[in-house]
Amino acid sequence: MIEKGKISTLQMAILIYPTIIATAILLVPAITGEQARQDMWMSPIWASAAGFLSAFIAIQLNKRFPEQTIIQYSETIAGKFLGKVIGFVFIFFLAHICGVILREYGEFVKGNFLDTTPMIVILGSIAFVCALAVRGGLEVIARSAQIFVPVVTVLFIFVLLLLSPELNPANMLPVFEKGLMPSLRGAVVPAGWYLEFFMISFLLPFLRDRKKAVKWSAVTVIAVLITMVITNMVTLFVFGSLTPKFTYPVMEAARYISIAEFIQHMESVVMAIWVGGIFVKISVFFYAAVLSTAQWLNLSDYRPLVFPIALIVTVLGHWSASNLQELEIFLSETFPFYSFIFLAVIPVILLLAAAIRGKRSNKSSN
Amino acid sequence: MDWIALTKKWLLIPSVSFLILLLAGCWDRVEINDLAIVVGIGLHKTDDDLIELSMQMVNPSSMISGQGGSGGQQGNGQLTTVEKAVGKTFYDARSKLQEKISRKLFSGQNRVVFISEKMAEKGIRKHIDFLARHPKPRLRSFVFVTKESPAEFFKVMPNLEASSAETARELASLKIGMSVEAKDLLQMTSDESDNAALPVLEIEEEPPNTYGLRVKGTAVFKNGKMAGQLDDSVTRGLLWIRNEIENASVTIKPEDAKNYISFNIFEENTQLIPSIKNGNWKMTVKINSVDDAVENETKLNLINPDTVNRLEKQLEKRINKRIRKALKLVQKDMQSDILGFGEAFHRHYPDKWAKVKDNWNEKFSEITVEIKSDVKIKRPGRSASPPAVPEDKVINE
Repeated sequence: MIEKGKISTLQMAILIYPTIIATAILLVPAITGEQARQDMWMSPIWASAAGFLSAFIAIQLNKRFPEQTIIQYSETIAGKFLGKVIGFVFIFFLAHICGVILREYGEFVKGNFLDTTPMIVILGSIAFVCALAVRGGLEVIARSAQIFVPVVTVLFIFVLLLLSPELNPANMLPVFEKGLMPSLRGAVVPAGWYLEFFMISFLLPFLRDRKKAVKWSAVTVIAVLITMVITNMVTLFVFGSLTPKFTYPVMEAARYISIAEFIQHMESVVMAIWVGGIFVKISVFFYAAVLSTAQWLNLSDYRPLVFPIALIVTVLGHWSASNLQELEIFLSETFPFYSFIFLAVIPVILLLAAAIRGKRSNKSSN
Repeated sequence: MDWIALTKKWLLIPSVSFLILLLAGCWDRVEINDLAIVVGIGLHKTDDDLIELSMQMVNPSSMISGQGGSGGQQGNGQLTTVEKAVGKTFYDARSKLQEKISRKLFSGQNRVVFISEKMAEKGIRKHIDFLARHPKPRLRSFVFVTKESPAEFFKVMPNLEASSAETARELASLKIGMSVEAKDLLQMTSDESDNAALPVLEIEEEPPNTYGLRVKGTAVFKNGKMAGQLDDSVTRGLLWIRNEIENASVTIKPEDAKNYISFNIFEENTQLIPSIKNGNWKMTVKINSVDDAVENETKLNLINPDTVNRLEKQLEKRINKRIRKALKLVQKDMQSDILGFGEAFHRHYPDKWAKVKDNWNEKFSEITVEIKSDVKIKRPGRSASPPAVPEDKVINE
């Protein structure tokens, strides 16, 4: 095995939670609100089906091939050539998504805080930090997540609590004004985020206590669900019909905080939340990309690949969109289908093929 | 090869120390004395349809001297400066204003936005976009309509506060009249019923030296344009309906008495209950308020429950009258829904609302309004029977 480290299922949950949430609370409330209006808080609930689905697929595949990732078992299932093709496309997908996430982070930081810093510096610095973590191995990523995620979560709850005086629950009414459809349409984009739960398939082979994986995956999906519902509710309660008009509604809500004219200007806290969360998210995707490449090339170590791929990912981030508008269109229109193909369709086909052909990993092949 | 490890170690120390320089964040620092901190933004239209932008900025050096000289301001060191410039858009004017100022304009601490009557009449919709687009201004700034050019308002040196922008902000947070934040204004103008209301600000002049600002009534907007103004007493009625009464006193003259009693309202809650029966749109305005007597000029003994009952009835009538007056103006004359009726119908009857929302203002003027007010006088204040009246002259019925 290339990866020598082992993580616990709890660490997996801690890695996956920010992997979904970090960017989901950035642009998604506005995109969801555009479709679902005052029913936007319901959309993450419908979308969570996608989360359970992709976690289920990942776990089922892992049951058949406990020690392998999708890059390895796709070869066993689909044969050498087709398997390599799937692996290659998947690596490209991972690298591209990693670049897009970098870009989301970069756009946010540049648009709100560091408006004169060149984009490449913002992207490069976070990519460098993540590359160092990935070079350290899975255990290092998991432990840094263990430090960041509690802090990030506490800060996030803190921001939500400070907003409580501004909440106007009546903004939720009328519920189901135009039936169920708007909230379902609003669920399409969050569903794309939930599908990223498939990333656990890159962590499952390295679990110390794999039996608990099902339980903890379900817990993580539910935690993500609750976070997204609360985020959407809070922004809706603060801004009402104005919510979808902002680019970053949560950011605007945090800026709006003012308690006794003393606790205000909380946007730096939001920034801290996102930098912490996005570090974990990028590290997980980046790790998956690096590990996949090493497995695809049958290398004995993935560490020499870390910095070259970091460079590629940074450049992909720089090129992924020419501006924020393009990025937002990509995320709201292309991304749900893009991730659906890679994180749901391909795995489902692989799982079905494996089931039909009765393929399992033979223990000796590692 | 021990020396390689050693060189590595020695190279590591300087390169890590170099990072310290970057980590301090001095890279793109902005010193406070390079900034002109904008506390008030004023928008005004010129005769040739351009925007005249005025900004009130605080003068940091006089702030420092004010703090140092422990006795407060002496009045000679000017605390604020006002600059104005003309441009095609807000930001265009802002850039022109920047040309005149040696420091970088910083509007992250902006307190108030003044919109002149002249601009309000021509429409504000396109001019308030920057409030939610430019990264710096806060959605918490209070918005006012000013009688004259905002620059005149910014030049006012108030007696109690450091700047006129601060005065306006304090007036808004006292909730004397309407108090509208940028967020509320954007919500009102983006709402389907599309009506907005803003407080009107006036310069209070009492020569030779007292000089200040006051909130005087409300400006009513229809489709982003100012359609009219309500005076102070009508504004009170408006606040009752909008559930925004916070600091209020009501003074009434009891029946068959020559003098007045004043009450302080310290709890007020208004509910709008819409109903549609047989195509008849009706709004029930339900008001609950709790009052305390604060002044009694009459000889009535306020501890007597019967007296209190009668006074409660009278207070209710008084409030109803106020609300009716506001309704007549807003609903019948201006036909502009700044009362939140549309919102209430939208929430309870989404289907029926969808049919009328395009000409909501017409429908709005036809709604029957029922007012149910319930006033409770809980306490007579610190004295029960009038303290300045001899016992035998107190009316105890």
